[in-house]
Amino acid sequence: MKSFLRTVSGKVGEWESGERPSLTHRLTHSLTYFAALATALLATTTHARINVVTLPDRDSVQLTIYNSADLTLVKETRHLTFRKGLNKLEFSWANTLIDPTSVEFRALSHADEVEVADVSFPPRVTNTLEWRINSEFAGDVVVEIRYFTSGLSWSADYVAEASKDEKLIDFSGAVRVNNNSGEDYENAQVRLVVGVIRLVEDIANLARAGKPGMPTTVAAMSAPAPAAAPARRLNEAFFAMDSAEKSASAKPREIIREGVSEYFMYTVEGRDTIPNGWSKRMPSFRAEKVPITSYYKFEKERFGDQVIRYYQFTNSVANKLGNEPLPDGFVKAFRFVTDDLLYAFVGSTGVKYIPVNEFVELELGNDQEVSVKPTMMDWQKIDISFNALGDVIGWTEKQTWQFEVQNSKDIPVVLDIRRNFSGDWTLTTNAKYDKVDANKVKFVVPLKPREKQAFTYEVVTKHGTNKTR
Amino acid sequence: MKRLFCFAVAALLISTAAHARVKLVALPERARVVVSLSHPDQTLVEEERLITLQKGVNKVDFSWRGVSIDSSSIQVRALSHPNDVKVLNTSYPPNENALVWEIASPAAQEERVRISYLLSGITREVTYRAVAEPNEQSMTLRNYLRLHNNSGEDLTEAEVALGYGSSFKKTIAHEEVLEMLSERIEALPVKKVLMWDSATLPWDPEYQKNTIGIPLNYVLTNDKPHKLGTHTLLPGKVRIFIKTKDQPAKEGEQVGEGVAFTGEDWAQLTPVDREMKLYIGQSRDVKVTQRRTKDERTNIRRNTANQDVLWDKDEIYKIEIENFKKEAISLTLIEHVPGYWKMVENSHAPQFKKKDAFTFEYNLTLPAESTGDKKTTVTFELNRLNVQGNEPQGY
Repeated sequence: MKSFLRTVSGKVGEWESGERPSLTHRLTHSLTYFAALATALLATTTHARINVVTLPDRDSVQLTIYNSADLTLVKETRHLTFRKGLNKLEFSWANTLIDPTSVEFRALSHADEVEVADVSFPPRVTNTLEWRINSEFAGDVVVEIRYFTSGLSWSADYVAEASKDEKLIDFSGAVRVNNNSGEDYENAQVRLVVGVIRLVEDIANLARAGKPGMPTTVAAMSAPAPAAAPARRLNEAFFAMDSAEKSASAKPREIIREGVSEYFMYTVEGRDTIPNGWSKRMPSFRAEKVPITSYYKFEKERFGDQVIRYYQFTNSVANKLGNEPLPDGFVKAFRFVTDDLLYAFVGSTGVKYIPVNEFVELELGNDQEVSVKPTMMDWQKIDISFNALGDVIGWTEKQTWQFEVQNSKDIPVVLDIRRNFSGDWTLTTNAKYDKVDANKVKFVVPLKPREKQAFTYEVVTKHGTNKTR
Repeated sequence: MKRLFCFAVAALLISTAAHARVKLVALPERARVVVSLSHPDQTLVEEERLITLQKGVNKVDFSWRGVSIDSSSIQVRALSHPNDVKVLNTSYPPNENALVWEIASPAAQEERVRISYLLSGITREVTYRAVAEPNEQSMTLRNYLRLHNNSGEDLTEAEVALGYGSSFKKTIAHEEVLEMLSERIEALPVKKVLMWDSATLPWDPEYQKNTIGIPLNYVLTNDKPHKLGTHTLLPGKVRIFIKTKDQPAKEGEQVGEGVAFTGEDWAQLTPVDREMKLYIGQSRDVKVTQRRTKDERTNIRRNTANQDVLWDKDEIYKIEIENFKKEAISLTLIEHVPGYWKMVENSHAPQFKKKDAFTFEYNLTLPAESTGDKKTTVTFELNRLNVQGNEPQGY
């Protein structure tokens, strides 16, 4: 129970901060509105000067969660009853981290008749603001309140299930929303944004300040971080999740995808309830029989003596993917090893953000069944030059290398061997190679099951005055 | 530390979800457990359970205690009706080792589900035991798998898959170590080779107080002609025994068959078609004496301060080898030469093999009792070129 909205009678600051909704409301409402009418009649209800007359239901909550920063845009809509003239609306919160500088109000109905005159952050209290609203309309108005909060996050994860021959994978993605905001979000529409957002100030810090311009250290005492999530009460929190899912469908819900500027947004179909402390993981997509290459890399400077296995594919329509960029996340890869689809664990890895049509490499760790043995078979120092004093000032080094490569697996693989050189070097070989950059070459060797191959190259490096470049 | 897996299955009827019915239908027993050890560092467990689903959306609660499961690895797959039974989402409660699946079923039915997860605490070890024939040309190799279960979980009738060969069923309790024979190869050909390395052994035994032992190796080849070659041989300890005759306790009794231990080594990972070399002891019945009989600088180039800046070298080596054994034996001589060199003279060209830029070998067979005049003598002459005194010895 964390944030409250009420209309206030009397002057700004006359309300009492100790005034809070009843325990019942705390357990059943997440964000609670109190619309109040300033009538003497109702002023007798309590000792307070605030008179609660209605508890309008929240119509909707929408969470837009960003994965690159601790930032969630919360949008909620409510029905409020306005009177003509000046209305005061107080918005306060506790045990949740709302950035007070981000809270915005707007009328959705009668928008041209309802106008915010100003917003006040009252003295001596934090986590509270008050709008003074001029209304030319008396009656029911739909309003929208937006603010930034922290503590909600989401991440993507993937499962790759490779066929026995590691030529195809079934690739499925899921999104997992984590709620550590201190707030139970019920019946919320969830939108997830992939992209890098720039924030010049940390939302959690702004929230701890309690009001604009306050140092965060002072405010931190008055606005503690969200309370640790309580242990699960099976029949409360857990099954409270159901209530939001009144339209619980027997189908996995669709996730609607759209590009927004440089970002990409997933909107989860339907509504979700995510109690504080809980995480919820939902399937996002599944692509079957995505063609892959089982690719192996060897580069001494990068991996030492190990050969590292990759699954490679392209995030394209031709490859049965390509409907959306893939957010960064973790992949767990398995291989089907039996006809009844038992798994063997292949490896797990983090994967970078992958735009549509981008080439993907899943790095799955060392595989000892593919080996590379480099041997320097000959070394010569030749073409010695001397200066006038008779000292050696230039020489040329000639190295001959032999590479034995071996695939001990029962499936074909492609092996990529990279070699780095420096200085004035020249490579001579009968093996096919590509130059990666000025000082790096790669030999790409396809290997059949159980195949062994060998190739050699000679590299001549000129030193001292023998150097020409 | 006994693990507890708990399933709670609750049905949520779509039409009247506001009055969701919570029902514990069963704590289903595991119908099958498969432990996959094919990954070198991770143990994947797959277990199958029969759960009863209601028509509509069911909540299946999966929790554990006293075991270490990578919760992000947990997956569930429907086996009986894979196309109809769908996992809608997974929820993770706070501060608990648990998760809740929402599983939609088109009908009230029993479903076999397979749950997969990575479990910590199950480790494996491979050990080898070999008994060599008295002639040391073949041996019986037994390959054991030793499973250590510190997972917190008793695995009952678990199918253990190694990533090669067929899987087998075993019961292994928490904190139990179970050793089982995974392979047995009879009459496996083996090569016995002594290895004399000029970089590590003294050249002249005359100057040594003790008889020099020459490392003795058994070499196995992981390929089909050598009765192996079906899979990579995993690293592990190898203990080698040799068959002996046990003398009878009483006169007149038959000579029994026994074994003696000849040594052990750590086997390295050996892919198919590679050799596994096992250093198991030393032989002191072969004597190697190596001497450099010529060591001259030639073609010296000096600077104006009369310092040698570059030169060549002419080196001659002579190696005398005596075999005191009654059998012929293989010996590999390993020689190291830094920098740029060329072989000029070589008494044993057919046995010579260059291993890399700075190493070469002679693979010799020493005749039985080849001592004195019958000793084997290897000589070679090297020209080392463009020497400056800073030559590389390795790469």
